[in-house]
Amino acid sequence: MLENLIQPFEAAINQFKKRDQLEKVLPAIGYFCTYTPIEVIHAAGFTPIRITGDAGAVEKAYAHMPDFICPFMKRALEKALNGKYDFLSGVVQGYSCDAACGAVNIWRDAIGGGIYHTLPLPYNSNPEARAFYKSALNEVVEKLNALGGSFSESKLDSSLGLYTEIRNILLDFYERSFKGDLPLSTQQMLTLIEAGAVSSPEAYLDMLKALKTHLRNANAEKKQDIPVMISGSLVEDPTIIEMIESSGGRIVADDLCNGYRQLVPAAADGGSPVDRLINRYIQRMPCPARSRAEDRLAPLIELMQKSGAKAMILIIQKFCTPHLSDYPSLLKAFKEKGWPVLLLELDESWQPGGQIKTRLESFFEMVGA
Amino acid sequence: MTEERKSKKRLKTSKELNRLVTEYYLNCQTAKAEGRPVAWMPPMNGVIELCYAMDVQPVFPENWSPVCAAFGLTPQNFKVSEDMGYSRDICGYLRNIIGYVNGLMNEKDTPLGGLPEPDILFTPGGGCVPVMKIFHALERRFPKAAVFSADLPQVAIEDINDTHIDYAIAESERLINFVTETTGRRLDMDRLRETVVLSDQACALWDEIMSFRRYIPVPFSAAEMGIMFVMVTLQGTQKAVDYLTRVRDEVRQKAESGSGVIENEKLRLFWDNIPLWYNMGLFNYFEAAGGVVVAETYSAAWSIRMDPQNPIRSLALKSLKSYPLVSCVSINKRKEMVLNACREYAIDGVIFHRNKSCIPITLGQMEIKRALEEELNIPSVIIDADHMDERNFSMAQFQTRVDAFMEMLADRKGY
Ligand code: SF4
Ligand code: SF4
Repeated sequence: MLENLIQPFEAAINQFKKRDQLEKVLPAIGYFCTYTPIEVIHAAGFTPIRITGDAGAVEKAYAHMPDFICPFMKRALEKALNGKYDFLSGVVQGYSCDAACGAVNIWRDAIGGGIYHTLPLPYNSNPEARAFYKSALNEVVEKLNALGGSFSESKLDSSLGLYTEIRNILLDFYERSFKGDLPLSTQQMLTLIEAGAVSSPEAYLDMLKALKTHLRNANAEKKQDIPVMISGSLVEDPTIIEMIESSGGRIVADDLCNGYRQLVPAAADGGSPVDRLINRYIQRMPCPARSRAEDRLAPLIELMQKSGAKAMILIIQKFCTPHLSDYPSLLKAFKEKGWPVLLLELDESWQPGGQIKTRLESFFEMVGA
Repeated sequence: MTEERKSKKRLKTSKELNRLVTEYYLNCQTAKAEGRPVAWMPPMNGVIELCYAMDVQPVFPENWSPVCAAFGLTPQNFKVSEDMGYSRDICGYLRNIIGYVNGLMNEKDTPLGGLPEPDILFTPGGGCVPVMKIFHALERRFPKAAVFSADLPQVAIEDINDTHIDYAIAESERLINFVTETTGRRLDMDRLRETVVLSDQACALWDEIMSFRRYIPVPFSAAEMGIMFVMVTLQGTQKAVDYLTRVRDEVRQKAESGSGVIENEKLRLFWDNIPLWYNMGLFNYFEAAGGVVVAETYSAAWSIRMDPQNPIRSLALKSLKSYPLVSCVSINKRKEMVLNACREYAIDGVIFHRNKSCIPITLGQMEIKRALEEELNIPSVIIDADHMDERNFSMAQFQTRVDAFMEMLADRKGY
């Protein structure tokens, strides 16, 4: 029965994949990182689509990037070079890391058409920083309008409402999962979120509402495996999740960019819609590309405690400087709390090798002992 | 043949540099001893002039890395940071400096007296991720230092507009107030103006020095890029202007008298990305085939002219432009710069150092490479290496690629 409930989300993902071959269907704008204010894109009349990669070999991308770039960026470019993002009217990217910033400029050169815009985001939150943020958002609005969009404050207000509802439902699911009360697996949660990244928010919200109703009285199966949290940027392929779960672990929380991290907080207070938007992005659960490792500790510790996780597994995209740079501090802080940490790096094959399986097994043996 | 290879590459003023380097690091130590505030900061921004104008001693952990490389300290520093858990896939500047402050810095006899502990840390937001993470690690290591978290819009040069400049100015003002609050030192506008005048003079001299590299034969090669040290650490000081004046005079004299790096200059090369700090002699390798590296992307980014009438605005602009000029923030601008330089310096071939330690500078190289071929018909070669980590460099591979490249270039020119 549960499989059936997830089916519409899978269908949305598949439909999106098929649309790859079609001409422009919807005016859509792509983005790499969840620091991109998708509400603004939506309010201007575009569907924000999160760019990801496809499975398969990376070949063409190497004519544009060195191999020491995260698999996320390499695979995404490969997919674009294969024409699969031709339907996009451009890319708007909220500045996160160096690789993503470079990728926007490389896409402009290699893919072309439409707008390619990196939105500079302030690192501070004083009034000058907010004013700067506001004018930087205006620039995005101007570019979107020039592409045929029609932004207004009241549309932004509705877009904010829409995304807040979406985030709240997903966060509800997460809250239930922390209590062991959600009849969905980690992989299914990631499928839900993936569907949201490639659907119009209106349709997606309806799907989520239906699922919520269905899940109201459903119970979760109790499992005995060792509860763990996973943390990293994106996990684009289910194999590593399956491997963790077949090696003695049970994922009870995540700090992933394509998981929990992008949802928190669902919304923020403020006067105008733009202020609310800015406040939310400033208060976001931090990504290592935009914060000190220390700023991430409190939310991570809270997640560990709330979910009852006993250990943390970092699933890092190889060559991802932001995550790799925070590792020593996280390791130290978690050790002090008595929580073991395992670092796994995934290359562009997305496939964790046999060695990773062995490491996982001995890790869980150690944690369980 | 042997005659052709005879090298006259060393500038006399280049040898003087050792003294300047020693003096600079000695000054850093003296400042500490005398109770003058020591501020650690990232390079390539307008904060250096503010520091000199406010009698705060600036220290550049990134610049310390080439020094470590020259003294052979890098492997030791890498060991410390890698033992702490820092991955070998992160920029070598980060691994070197974090290793240094957590290892060697605690020991007595380090070269040039080592670095003095910071009183102030200017932690950047707005450069590359490694530099930001370096400063986060420094905050951990020096908990007593006062921290200023600086912010700067990350925008391509061609997109810089008034809102970015206004924000950068607001940040400069906040920084000045911060320095006053932490050190009690006030900014004297006249003094800042003088500093900015000196900084501008240094940039003008720098441009002039570089312009003599248009001469054939070229009066000095990339092997002398050490002189950039003054642009990094002494910008806005009389010392920098005096030194660069001497360099200019010597370079002019050499250029005008036709005294080149090598006697029979055949092939003029351009170098993209940071040099291999542990092997600056590599630039001489090309000489065997009659080649000289006459221009680089990296050195061009240090010269940003100032308007002394508007010192704060000039410095804000410098901060906004410096990093994008060399990085993937501004690939279009960079492309334009490299293409222009190749025209101006009559370049025959370009060497792209694909630098494992620097994602921001490496990204975009392939687009520049294509433009060189398509628009100027200039061939290029990619060298896989690393500006700090020797383990990512293979001399054998370098030789194979460079030899084939030089042969091809010679063929094209009919040598
Ligand atoms: S944060 Fe890491 S995974 Fe994400 S785009 Fe940057 S390098 Fe890639
Ligand atoms: S610009 Fe490049 S070399 Fe400099 S710190 Fe950043 S990543 Fe390292």
